[in-house]
Amino acid sequence: MMQSRNIYDTHVCRVLRVYPLTDTEKLFLFRFEDPSIGMNWRFKPGTFVELSQPGVGEVPISICSSSMRIGFFELCIRNAGRVTQKIHSLKPGDTVGIRGPYGNGFPMEKFEGRDLLLVAAGLGMAPLRSVFLYALDNRWQFGNITIINAAKTGPELLFMHELDAMRDIAEAENITILQTTTRDERWGGLKGRAATHLDKVNVDPNNTAVALCGPPHMYKSMFEELMRRGFDPRRIFVTVERRMKCGVGKCGHCNIGTAANWMYVCKDGPVFDYYDMISTPGLI
Amino acid sequence: MRYLKLPHEKRREFLIELKGYGILYAPVSISEKNFDYKKVDDVDTIRFDYNRTVLPPRKYFFPPNETLFKFDKKDCRLIDAYEDPGTFVIFGMHPCDIIGLRVLDSRFIDDQPDTYYKRRREKGIIIGIDCLPDEYCFCNIRDADFADRGFDLFLHELDDGYLIRVGSVMGHKIVDACDHLFEAIKAEDISVMTRKEREKQAMFQHYENWDNLRYLLELQDSHPLWERESEKCISCGNCTLTCPTCRCYDVQDVPELDGNGGKRIRFWDSCQYREHGLVAGGHNFRDTKLDRFKNRYQCKNAYCETMTISYCVGCGRCTQFCPTGINYRKNLMEIRGDE
Repeated sequence: MMQSRNIYDTHVCRVLRVYPLTDTEKLFLFRFEDPSIGMNWRFKPGTFVELSQPGVGEVPISICSSSMRIGFFELCIRNAGRVTQKIHSLKPGDTVGIRGPYGNGFPMEKFEGRDLLLVAAGLGMAPLRSVFLYALDNRWQFGNITIINAAKTGPELLFMHELDAMRDIAEAENITILQTTTRDERWGGLKGRAATHLDKVNVDPNNTAVALCGPPHMYKSMFEELMRRGFDPRRIFVTVERRMKCGVGKCGHCNIGTAANWMYVCKDGPVFDYYDMISTPGLI
Repeated sequence: MRYLKLPHEKRREFLIELKGYGILYAPVSISEKNFDYKKVDDVDTIRFDYNRTVLPPRKYFFPPNETLFKFDKKDCRLIDAYEDPGTFVIFGMHPCDIIGLRVLDSRFIDDQPDTYYKRRREKGIIIGIDCLPDEYCFCNIRDADFADRGFDLFLHELDDGYLIRVGSVMGHKIVDACDHLFEAIKAEDISVMTRKEREKQAMFQHYENWDNLRYLLELQDSHPLWERESEKCISCGNCTLTCPTCRCYDVQDVPELDGNGGKRIRFWDSCQYREHGLVAGGHNFRDTKLDRFKNRYQCKNAYCETMTISYCVGCGRCTQFCPTGINYRKNLMEIRGDE
């Protein structure tokens, strides 16, 4: 009898392009070595892969490219540990191992026909870029779009130049791009936390899907501000970070919740809705 | 279900018969007070009267450490390093451990089955045996005191032999191959079995319904018990290592000394260790001993939908083998307001 594929085995992927985004983050473009895998591999915005360098280890990384492009994908990787440090040293032509995609991803089908508000802080821009590019590639499915990108300083704003270069498209396509910093004296643009710029959005609170990603402390104030402005809590979604070692709900490291509602971020998440967020202890 | 009787005088012969199917693992005495599953050469060393083994039998399906892959430095390809154990027999599993294994199945053999666990699971023959509770057992409360599935054969002790329940096709094959050892069940055997079942039920110390426990655990998050009990904990991880349903593991790459290749290994982890919730960059989602202590109580008392019971089967190991005397069942009863 043929055994099904080993769930921990990886696909070999080749680095095609390495692009420095900030002092600590680089953007990598990958292609699958095996064309039959590449042509059949699909993911949803908000899902992640386990990226592996044999001899060093494996790490979970959110996919940050549009899911419309077949055979290729991009990862924005922060140099934060042993594996990511090794990945940062890779050059075009080098190979890595990939398994996944894992996680539930954003319910893009529920977002259709609505305005979109995407709010990212820090590394949160990586998964939300996938949502944003997907929305651009399926522009006719969505209403007005606002994306808020926040970071401590200008040089730490992920994809700052990419978003900046989209100004023409944005104007033609009813998209508002807001980039703001919280602790940068020299920054010439918007200042203050993402929540302070909700008066500048072009979306209708009554018919908007909201996607948030940022440090845990951002969510409480964001929720309060969104509620105050009349956004529907049923359409607020958050993607969270945990130590997702296996990606398949087994190794236990990303567990959250209580006995009444026990979940694994890698399988039940990493995207949760507002009601999950407020009723699951430890999630915020 | 098919029922047979194995007379006491045929027991030894039956065990030798079982050895013909592969390596035989069974509970043996390892110290004055403790028992553990070991590979058995001499079937006379098997202990039928053991209370609980130190490690649960999950170690035969999910070993404490194993090599998942080997790899070569030349490319990023991984080579499956699964070592086929061949068919093996686990003799003497108590109902809580059989049900514990099925709880593990629900996580490990789901829509994304763990390739290593599943392959070993297909190789293991499980022979269960009935038991009597001691002061640590509360499997009755956990609905894990009687195994109705998950074994090939199950033995209930009678006065002069065993009543055997046949639970699988493999079970039928085993008894068919040595049918000269068995007798038909008589009416008096059934009355002995029902009497023994009743006696067993009367031996438990508690009989409450704990269905509300998982909500009370959530509501009692600021109960003084948490501080008091976690203070005693030394984060040794004994409670999770001896648990029949604990399944946390970590994975590590071990390069060869010559730098040309290596292996990817996995090993049991414990949510009681500080590193368990640590992510790159230094943030720890369960930073304090209190967080980690609570985490285990929440995880073990969550609802396993496939089995419609909690993840804890009430085997009593975490209490018996806790070096600082933390009494898990007593603590849960305090959360429930029982004592």
